[in-house]
Amino acid sequence: MKNFQIIKALTSASAVTNLSKETDAKFIAGGTNLVDLMKKNVTAPDKLVDINTLDLKKIEFLSKKVSIGALAKNTQVAEDKVIKEKFPLLSLALAAGASQQIRNMASVGGNMLQRTRCPYFYNTDMPCNKRVPKSGCGAIGGSNRMHAVFGASESCIAVHPSDMCVALAALDATVFVEGPKGKRKIEFTDFHRLPGNTPEKDNVLDAKELITSVEIPENNFAKNSHYLKIRDRSSYAFALVSVAVGLDLKNNLINDVRLAMGGVAHKPWRLTEAEKFLKGKTVSETTFKQAADLAMKEAKGYGENNFKITLGTNAIIEALTIASSK
Amino acid sequence: MSKTSNINRVDGFAKVTGSATYSAEYKTPGVVYACLVGSTIAKGRIKTIDTKKAEWAPGVLAVITHLNVDKPVGYQKAKDKHNFGQPLQIFKDDSVLYYDQPIALVIADTFERMQYAASLIKADYLKEEHSTELKKAADKEKKVETEKGNDYHRGEQDGYKNAEVVLEAEYTIPTEVHNPMELANIIAKWDGNKPTVFTKSQGVEGTRKSIAGVFGVPIEDVSVNSEYLGGAFGMGLHTWPYEIAALIGSKKLNRPVKLVLHREQMFTNVGFRPYTIQKMGLGATKAGKLTGLTHEAVAMTSSYEDFMEGTVNMSRFIYDCANVSTRYRIVPLDTCTPIWMRGPGEATGSFALESAMDELAYKLNIDPIEFRKLNYAEKDLEQNKPWSSKYLLECYEGGMERIGWKNRKNEPGSVKEGDWLVGYGMGTGTFGCYRNPTSVKAKFLPDGNLVLQCSVNDMGPGTATMMTAIGADITGFPAENVIIEMGKSGLPKGPTQGGSATTSSVGSAVNDACKLLVEKAIKLASENAVFKNIPAADLELAEGMIVSKKNSSKSISLISLLSENKLEELAVENQSKGTEEAKKYSIYSFSVHFVKVLVNPNLGKIRLAHVVSCADIGTVINQKTSAGQMFGGAVGGIGMGLMEALEIDHRFGRPINNNFADYHVPVNADIEKQEVFFVNKKDPISNPMGTKGLGETALVGMAPAIANAVFNATGKRVRDLPITLDKIIETVKV
Amino acid sequence: MAVKKTNKNNEVHDDSNSRRDFIKKSGLFTALALAPPSLVMASESKWDEKIASYLETVPLSIEINGTKHNLNIEPRTTLLDLLREQLQLTGTKKGCDHGQCGACTVHVNGERILSCLSLATMQQNAQVVTIEGLSKGKKLHPMQEAFIKNDGFQCGYCTPGQIMSGIACIKEGHANNRDEIKEYMSGNICRCGAYHNIVDAIMEVKEGGKLI
Repeated sequence: MKNFQIIKALTSASAVTNLSKETDAKFIAGGTNLVDLMKKNVTAPDKLVDINTLDLKKIEFLSKKVSIGALAKNTQVAEDKVIKEKFPLLSLALAAGASQQIRNMASVGGNMLQRTRCPYFYNTDMPCNKRVPKSGCGAIGGSNRMHAVFGASESCIAVHPSDMCVALAALDATVFVEGPKGKRKIEFTDFHRLPGNTPEKDNVLDAKELITSVEIPENNFAKNSHYLKIRDRSSYAFALVSVAVGLDLKNNLINDVRLAMGGVAHKPWRLTEAEKFLKGKTVSETTFKQAADLAMKEAKGYGENNFKITLGTNAIIEALTIASSK
Repeated sequence: MSKTSNINRVDGFAKVTGSATYSAEYKTPGVVYACLVGSTIAKGRIKTIDTKKAEWAPGVLAVITHLNVDKPVGYQKAKDKHNFGQPLQIFKDDSVLYYDQPIALVIADTFERMQYAASLIKADYLKEEHSTELKKAADKEKKVETEKGNDYHRGEQDGYKNAEVVLEAEYTIPTEVHNPMELANIIAKWDGNKPTVFTKSQGVEGTRKSIAGVFGVPIEDVSVNSEYLGGAFGMGLHTWPYEIAALIGSKKLNRPVKLVLHREQMFTNVGFRPYTIQKMGLGATKAGKLTGLTHEAVAMTSSYEDFMEGTVNMSRFIYDCANVSTRYRIVPLDTCTPIWMRGPGEATGSFALESAMDELAYKLNIDPIEFRKLNYAEKDLEQNKPWSSKYLLECYEGGMERIGWKNRKNEPGSVKEGDWLVGYGMGTGTFGCYRNPTSVKAKFLPDGNLVLQCSVNDMGPGTATMMTAIGADITGFPAENVIIEMGKSGLPKGPTQGGSATTSSVGSAVNDACKLLVEKAIKLASENAVFKNIPAADLELAEGMIVSKKNSSKSISLISLLSENKLEELAVENQSKGTEEAKKYSIYSFSVHFVKVLVNPNLGKIRLAHVVSCADIGTVINQKTSAGQMFGGAVGGIGMGLMEALEIDHRFGRPINNNFADYHVPVNADIEKQEVFFVNKKDPISNPMGTKGLGETALVGMAPAIANAVFNATGKRVRDLPITLDKIIETVKV
Repeated sequence: MAVKKTNKNNEVHDDSNSRRDFIKKSGLFTALALAPPSLVMASESKWDEKIASYLETVPLSIEINGTKHNLNIEPRTTLLDLLREQLQLTGTKKGCDHGQCGACTVHVNGERILSCLSLATMQQNAQVVTIEGLSKGKKLHPMQEAFIKNDGFQCGYCTPGQIMSGIACIKEGHANNRDEIKEYMSGNICRCGAYHNIVDAIMEVKEGGKLI
């Protein structure tokens, strides 16, 4: 690892100012992804701005929403009593990710910014448009078992690895950021982007912007929600496919529904068409199957990951079934 | 049951307090840090290598490549390059034989500076077309030109083809990697022309010999210390290029050098279980009597060493079958050389054989265990010898009862628990019992302790604990008064730890040395005044006292005996080895793994609801450590069955998942319930204790047990490991 | 003494040149406004590297197993490498160096974390407990005793991490049954496969109710 300078930011404004002066500086919070990437020489910043001193760790329950500070640790959020009660989907998704040690270190903001686990991205001997623009995509025509079936492009078929983000996408969260040009908010589903011709950009955050918090509006999904994660071993593995479901049920009638998938696209994949289809329908196996087929209609495999299409369909049905029978 | 049959691990205190010192942890004044930079191509030659930036980086002490290396004298002595046992000679020339082959050694004063400097090295290559895919290199298939490499035939060649019921199937296992938790690591230093290494070796004496050969120094001048190994599972059976590199670097700088491989390099530079394709042909009568069995294996090796293992061997003797043929072929590929990985070839072979046996049992509509019992071998037909002991049937019974075999239905998919499909499966394992010549020194000290010395290692099975138990049993000493000195050169020569032979070899040597020591003590005591007129035959050693059997008031403590004779120690050094009598028998351990799986066929999820591993390993010396080893072997087999596979992108000849996040090994949550069971009956022939070996057979047979259970649950036969979920769910075409 | 490096063409490359080159590149030359003669002296006595080293380090005040340390470290030094290579606390193990195995688990301010992914400089004033901090002489922590009694290890290499994780698992309230323990211990890989006995050990400590 290259040596670098590290400074502590005292306010979010000073953090942003500090970063904006540097050509190759990065914020560091939990460091669980960034330090790893620096060890692998995937990224080599000259300067780190340590933001852990900032007052962004609180989980606040406001009227009709919760605000989660960007520096709140994954464990802190997952095990927060009120989060568990009102937003169990978020808690379940967080607990399904990584290991307790990593969740103790990782921040909410950092979780959103974690980079893909695509092996071509991680191995600097390999071609990867995300790491080195225009170097080619190793995964297309190569090993792509973990890769995208939605929204991929000719330059990148990587997936976003987060579990938490799948829940946040389903729960209509909003991201609050602060940058040199001031503060702004971004709809969570607009935060991460599809690769297109510029896969080097994972999200719409400007280079010098800092995530300060995430807000989730109150909802009626608490009772019937589920996070289903399918992976190659029982724990401590990234998702091949995951499904976040929130159902608002009146008897057997689906008043409202939220559905999102992980492990299938460059961003958490919200299933809006399937949601529309399910709204107003009665809970049944057939309905769930139809919704799942609709959700997976546009899916496209790249060889090794073709199985994700069947798996995705079945996982949606399973997640809906579990959520509806809670 | 003896007093020592359940003692705690004697190195437990050191291990739970973090005070156990593994190789790279020895406090070494003046030590500097080294790492290896690997090639980025799989085959070709190094055109240029730019080391300037690295050399000029802060703290860098040396950068060594093929261009500036002082070649060890042994490099000139190498025979032909395909000579087995000639590992890659690091920095010998500009040739690149596999991806991540070390091309430079960087040494700096701190760990961080060394790591950074290594990242600055850049090489240009003259690339050549590489070949890393076994399935596409079949034309290079060849026989191993040794006796072991010969084809085997008993009865009619490929006689299975004439049977009433025939099964033919092909099975594949991918490359798997040992991946002990401790990274391969070494501290190397020179005292003049005498090298000393603290390294991750399973065989102190073997490592001494290799280093002596490479550097042209007498074996006696080479010191090797491998007191604690953080697992190895076979990867420590070679002296690898990284060890030689550290010695080269240390010699150049005349300073101690510490070199620890990265986890990524553990996948590319220190061996693996080779990718193997197996063809099985089984024939039986309709009533279920095996009439023919053919087992063929094609496995990968490197371009510079012929590696082979016992993949097809089990098929020759485990069942009663008149017509048996086996063939073994290797295909050189552009990779590092494979090395035996726990269970080695037998684990690979049993996956094919025990899956095929299961398939044929279904074809015959016979319970798989009944089918095996119908073909139970009363003697070893390969060697035409009687078994020394065989309690395989007890293993079947013990496992059936514990797993609840009676709940199994032969019809796949016919048992359910809730939404889960239930499946039961089993697989048989076996491994030969070997006994290697071993020297042990046993000595009584004036402080009342018994010291046992042997250069053998303990990479985790509990060798030190076993030695303690046997020593304590023979001498009647309390286990806490037995001190073990092991894992380094300069001690009486022990064997390499591998092939399940340690207890048989070292345990016997401890047994023999302790018996001789007790005799020696009694003889010495008999000359003491207190035993006047009492013959040595009437004396015995009990609880540190030599006592007259007839008159217990007449006694002398060992401590007094030593002090009265002004002895600093009373010692015996003795070499033990196998007997001629044992050669008349076929000596094998046997194991049977039982698995109950719950499968969600829609998601491909396989839950290991219950795993029972049974074994006939002769006498169980220590229940605790043996159970641990059996649990662990089973977990290794679970990794093999369900998740382990090194993926190569053959376009580049580079691994894709050479890290612990992407190469999955089992985690705690993967096994819901686990049991082990030992028959624990003494083998009358194997060795004085009657043990038969455990480490390997603990893994052999687990992978097919899982595959067979998955078939029983789903009707889906998976013949290529690992059984990942995509092989269970139906995939759609794009 | 400078080490001589010889390349293929037998050109001798003196180490002091590289140090001078380094000092030029690092900008210290102008920054310190050294006159050429003093630079040569500095170079010969390796002062340049010493100054550079000093400027590249940051102060760190950290408490490890109850002992306060005031150190100067490079920002890129991880907590794991600080423990193992600078403080000789080798009980904390390096298994993967990438947050994928759990062998390096330590407690920081009472919580289990992975020391390999933690920059030491970011643990300013932190209280760190490693495996060496659990026992008091021969008196073992209940979890250490339980690991010995239940044979929760074989090679012993993942053991410090398992024990640190096991203690935290109970303190967090995640040790209520075998399944929960298995899930919350899955961040600690044991290649010897001692999982069954590890769970036994943690269950025993949890049920024993001793203060941990």
